[in-house]
Amino acid sequence: MTPSTAGERSHRSLAQLLALLKVQAKLNLREPYALGPGVGIPVILLVVFGFISKQVPGNVGNSGLTVIDLYVPTLMVISVIAIAISLPATLVRDRETGWLRRISTTPVHPSRLLGAQLIVDLVLAAVAVVIIIVGGTVIFGAHLQVSIPFFILSSVLAIAEIFSLGLVVVALVRTQIQGQLVGGVLFFALLFLSGLWVQPAQISGPLQTVMWYSPSGAAVRALLYSVFNTRPPVTTLLTLAGYTLVFAFVAIRYFRWE
Amino acid sequence: MRPLWDTPSAVTEPGLPKRRGSFAARGQTALPSVLQSAGNPSTGSPSADSSLGERSAVTIKNLVKRYGGVLAADDVSFSIQEGEIFGIIGPNGAGKTTTVECISGLRVPDSGSISVFGLSPQRDRYRIREFVGVQLQESALPPRLRVGEALELFASFYAHPLDPQEVLQTLSIKNIELTAFKNLSGGEKQRVSIALALVGNPKIAILDELTTGLDPEARRATWALIERMRERGVTVILVTHFMDEAETLCDRVALINRGRLITLDTPEAIAAEAGVNRVRFVPSQPVDDETLYAVQGVQVIERKDRYVTVTGTGDLAASLINALATMGVQVSELEARGGNLDDAFIRLTRETTSTERERVQA
Repeated sequence: MTPSTAGERSHRSLAQLLALLKVQAKLNLREPYALGPGVGIPVILLVVFGFISKQVPGNVGNSGLTVIDLYVPTLMVISVIAIAISLPATLVRDRETGWLRRISTTPVHPSRLLGAQLIVDLVLAAVAVVIIIVGGTVIFGAHLQVSIPFFILSSVLAIAEIFSLGLVVVALVRTQIQGQLVGGVLFFALLFLSGLWVQPAQISGPLQTVMWYSPSGAAVRALLYSVFNTRPPVTTLLTLAGYTLVFAFVAIRYFRWE
Repeated sequence: MRPLWDTPSAVTEPGLPKRRGSFAARGQTALPSVLQSAGNPSTGSPSADSSLGERSAVTIKNLVKRYGGVLAADDVSFSIQEGEIFGIIGPNGAGKTTTVECISGLRVPDSGSISVFGLSPQRDRYRIREFVGVQLQESALPPRLRVGEALELFASFYAHPLDPQEVLQTLSIKNIELTAFKNLSGGEKQRVSIALALVGNPKIAILDELTTGLDPEARRATWALIERMRERGVTVILVTHFMDEAETLCDRVALINRGRLITLDTPEAIAAEAGVNRVRFVPSQPVDDETLYAVQGVQVIERKDRYVTVTGTGDLAASLINALATMGVQVSELEARGGNLDDAFIRLTRETTSTERERVQA
């Protein structure tokens, strides 16, 4: 028996990934850095803005949309932001304590652990998005007409962009404390730009432009068009793709496993 | 209970030597060579290790590794025979960990070559990782990961792992299988770390500071475990600063100081060759250190209660009695004995740490 036939290697590779997925999923339930904020915050905000929407019905800022309509994309992006900002919490620690280094002495490269964590985070983001869409429409009466192809395109770009930004933080900070500081500041900046306090659709002028072309604002804009059955502006999609490339490049360039 | 090391395994990596099967095979081949080396004083020089006739598991040639301006490995060459327990000893910061990290492929040497069963730790890193188990000096698990889960995870990484349940039993950590890493005691963490290094069923186990932080009982248990690995034909590379550990376990020991290989031999031969003696006595009146250091051969002075213990070379007892007698000091309760590895270690590292000229002599 030769253990290194191609078939057996890929079989083992899959088994290794599944084992890592199982462990990362369990750890994410036990220390819900991603689960808590990633699903918890958007769900709480959904309830808040759902009730505001019922109090203040109708057309916001002449956009033709209700409060809950406008906030559905923002809440989705907030979920992705919260999950991305949780990446340093576990990965920087695992690097600082030598866990990633420990893994790298085995036949498995620690990038597989990162991959497993990203898959778990992707599942969490998908769960949050489904809760927001179903909750927003069924419970709070958002008038969504989701265009499936545009929605998939926009969400993939938004998640890739914001997760890459989270990995930039993992790559650049050295300690858990630094990770918390940088992550905290970034979290609130992204939250603001995603329209949590002021919806870009409600305002005009330079601030609106800044928001529409910011990492989280562009994601909100793409999703906003997609959930109302419209093709997102090409500039928005290019903005998202551009940020994704830059963030991914920086993250890969500066990533350290130990 | 079936011992862990009975688990049958036929690892046949292409291009790799087949794992030696049993205790008997090793007992017949490796032990005599060890005895041979002990009886041959000429093996004392750092490079005289290739004459053992055993197949080498690891061969290091002219290894150099720098951190900034500091030489962590300065032209280190030696080879480790298959199936032996090889100790690497030296003071803190001597370059022990650097050397083994180059073997496991965690660090890339600046120059020199390393061969692990004919493979390069850099070029063939993934193939080497399949059969080299590593216990890192400082490495934590995620705080909420449970012991059993960590072992299952690591077992899944390897082609021919041991049964995690057996590893748990052999290391007597079955009781903490469901305990999260953050709730483990220091000794338990250490045993988990060893378990993770062994669950992949390695041909070579690199154990860095194996029993640091363990209580005496746990140390003995760990030593017994290493002995069982030896019986199974696993080559063990043991980095330690405990001389008793090296003396008890190791077939051969490499002493490294300031990145240089000082000596390489059996623990007994090193102790004998260093020619260290130890004398304990009670002086009839107080004697200061200066007076004692003036006596020929005296190197280390330790005091406890009325007792003075002097370590050094030559006919220490006679020199001391004579020197003290001229000052009118009587010596009682005199006790003299030959040195052990600990004494040799202190003497050899002192010499190498002083001047370049003395280092050449050592």
